[in-house]
Amino acid sequence: MKTSVQLTIPAEADYLDIVRLTLYGLAVKLGFEYEQIEDMKVAVGEACNNAIIHGYEHLGSGELHVNFEQQLDGLKICIRDNGTSFNYQQAINRTAGALHTTRLSDAPTGGLGLYMMQALMDHVEVNTTSGTEVILTKLLGRKEEMA
Amino acid sequence: MTLNKFQAVIHETDSAIIVQVGGELDLAAAPELRSLLETVVNRTDKTLVLDTERLAYIDSTGIGIVVSVIKARDEKKAEFIVKNIPRSIKRLFDITGISGYINEGTVS
Repeated sequence: MKTSVQLTIPAEADYLDIVRLTLYGLAVKLGFEYEQIEDMKVAVGEACNNAIIHGYEHLGSGELHVNFEQQLDGLKICIRDNGTSFNYQQAINRTAGALHTTRLSDAPTGGLGLYMMQALMDHVEVNTTSGTEVILTKLLGRKEEMA
Repeated sequence: MTLNKFQAVIHETDSAIIVQVGGELDLAAAPELRSLLETVVNRTDKTLVLDTERLAYIDSTGIGIVVSVIKARDEKKAEFIVKNIPRSIKRLFDITGISGYINEGTVS
């Protein structure tokens, strides 16, 4: 049986803390380490940011659906909006390598969100067929990174 | 974990303008910090210090603000220090590659 917790919030920045609180509670319950929880809070925040900033840009307002699904080996989080799709492929190309090889004068002040999701989660999947769905997975027991 | 609302205050000493930030710097809090920093970013008479000791969370929006201040101060040849960076925040600065641009100053 799949165990899941669902949360629907207005697609507004003021409700992001509610998503982080819910995520924190679930992640603690599932036995994630402190650093893994911090990683997930940032990655999920970035996915929600994209939905809030880009998803309903031309539509005014909307809802954001966050589904937390407990897996045998971790936690799968789906963040879905019904707005206009953010161009993830373009974002992937733009943020490859983040700022590690960029001169300060060329450093962008935005567009790091997707890069951070990929760096902080074990798996990132994006579906843009209807609205945008970002599926983030974090595995339990990746303790070799704790060193 | 409880709700940890973002706070920012400015202190001024003889040599520095210190912006102390705490709580969670997310998309909702970013406009507050951006407008606060706008009031001091052009002050080249003193070192600008961002004290992040009590910062509990930062996302790419917050990191973008830090990058924009680093750039603005660099163009004006004015000093900008980010001090007391918590370990979890430092890790995100490392991952995104902005650590290389950050002047952490000398520990005082």
